Amino acid sequence: MKRLAQILRTSAWLGWQVEANWADPTLFLAYAIAKPLATTLILFFMVKVVSQGHATGDAFQFIFIGNTFFLYVTEVLIGISWTVFRDREDYETLKYIYVAPLRLLPYLMGRAFTRVATASVGVLVALLFGRFVLGLSIGVPTTNWLLVLAAVLLGLVGVLWLGIILAGTSLVVARHSMNLNEGLSGLFFLLCGAVFPLDVLPRWAQSVSLSLPFTYWLELLRRMLTGHGFARSLAALSEGDLWRIIAGATLGLCFAAILWFRWCEGYARDRGLIDWKTNY
Amino acid sequence: MGRDLAGTETTIRARIRMNAAAVFARASVRVRASFRESSWIVGETLFPFLAMSAFVFVYRGLHAPPEYEGFVVLGGAMIAYWNNVIWGMASQFFWEKEQGQLQLYLITPVSRMSILLGMALGGIAMTTTRAAVILIGGMLLFHVSLPLSRALPAFGLFVLTLGAAYSLGMILSSLFLLWGREVWHTATLLQEPIYLFSGFYFPVSAMGIVIGIAGSILPVTLGLDGIRQIFYGPAAHGLLPLRWIPPIQIALTLVFVTLARVSLLAMENLGKREGRLTLKGD
Repeated sequence: MKRLAQILRTSAWLGWQVEANWADPTLFLAYAIAKPLATTLILFFMVKVVSQGHATGDAFQFIFIGNTFFLYVTEVLIGISWTVFRDREDYETLKYIYVAPLRLLPYLMGRAFTRVATASVGVLVALLFGRFVLGLSIGVPTTNWLLVLAAVLLGLVGVLWLGIILAGTSLVVARHSMNLNEGLSGLFFLLCGAVFPLDVLPRWAQSVSLSLPFTYWLELLRRMLTGHGFARSLAALSEGDLWRIIAGATLGLCFAAILWFRWCEGYARDRGLIDWKTNY
Repeated sequence: MGRDLAGTETTIRARIRMNAAAVFARASVRVRASFRESSWIVGETLFPFLAMSAFVFVYRGLHAPPEYEGFVVLGGAMIAYWNNVIWGMASQFFWEKEQGQLQLYLITPVSRMSILLGMALGGIAMTTTRAAVILIGGMLLFHVSLPLSRALPAFGLFVLTLGAAYSLGMILSSLFLLWGREVWHTATLLQEPIYLFSGFYFPVSAMGIVIGIAGSILPVTLGLDGIRQIFYGPAAHGLLPLRWIPPIQIALTLVFVTLARVSLLAMENLGKREGRLTLKGD
């Protein structure tokens, strides 16, 4: 455990140096919060232009919460898999890390720390912006903030394991397959009901949405922060049901990630892909 | 009349021919490369289409009038061009520096503007295939109606917008010439915030006249605003009267091209003095 902690700490430090030391902390922070604030405001103005019609404060609140917490999915998913490409092809250090006395999986987990931290700052700033600038009520009297934190962490662990699955895939595919990772993030954004109720999707797409753990995660967070649900298709599920689904999915992702990553790592080593360059 | 590297006198006609050849060479490489890897075609059409679809569904969830879905589809197609301006144009000299090829461009006897013009034309050709898929796919899948009778004026304004946008890309490429890792982050910064200030997904007038005017420094802002007005008339909630927009786009193009020329020269000289032209950012 001590060794694992050491690897996580060192790779987290390395991740910070790679991602953040190109600017002073203030400038880096500004860059980090620009995207979440921009997407929040895009959605705000989209609701505003139709608010003479049928949109309500509730509608934007649900969109806001979904969009804000979805930031974890985009940042961490893409961040972990991008680490493999950068280390392998830009910095050409993956082969040295591979021959170092550490396992690749905890190294990648540690490297994800910067992305998690950046996303967390973005989420926090967006929530504060929503509360104090846009006048949204974040939380209700019955909101248990410790449970909210636990729900966020549980979802985040699921995202991390999914990121490891993508990182394993990145070990065996060429650099331009980065589109796949970004596309997957876009697919989740579309299918998880992050910014619109699932009910507007076609029935076949709703079936796919209901198989994604992030759909339930966002619904749980909305219920905890607003006191009621958003998606009619999930109305029959209690909060306990949502917790169980998310916990089960996270456990499943954990096993799948470990098995898949080990296979990809072995495949990459067998075929000499650890120091592969595909930057053409 | 000047002299080439061999000391031979060159005519203006010869120099124009040389620069035109550079434009063609740089553009044709980009056009050929765009179809080289099939995953790029999928990645640059399907995945942006997914992001656009999400915003269409936002409007559907809000029971917005159908023309708003048209705004998103038009914005989604324009995003493809804006991203090409940032990643395929502005960042290009940075990528060349990282690959160790920038000095090859700088020692050629052609204008940097010719090279950038070739990149722009090649980028437009490459992006048009992607944007067309997004536009046609959006129209078919979401039943977005764009009156074909107004396609020609819309296309004319679109061409003016591209001219101004890629001219802005030339200025940015001169700045990115000198930067290191901040290029990557700055390019990322020029995505979602620009989508906001240019009103890619909603009428820019919703942000108020002051912010709308400020955002109009970006050619895509007024370009999208104008194209929406052409197709949807008053329902587009235009920022400025339509007849003002084409002259503004032409003026922006002229200003940006002039600034790009000055900026490229200044940045190149600065880079030479500070030894940053061959310094890798990573």
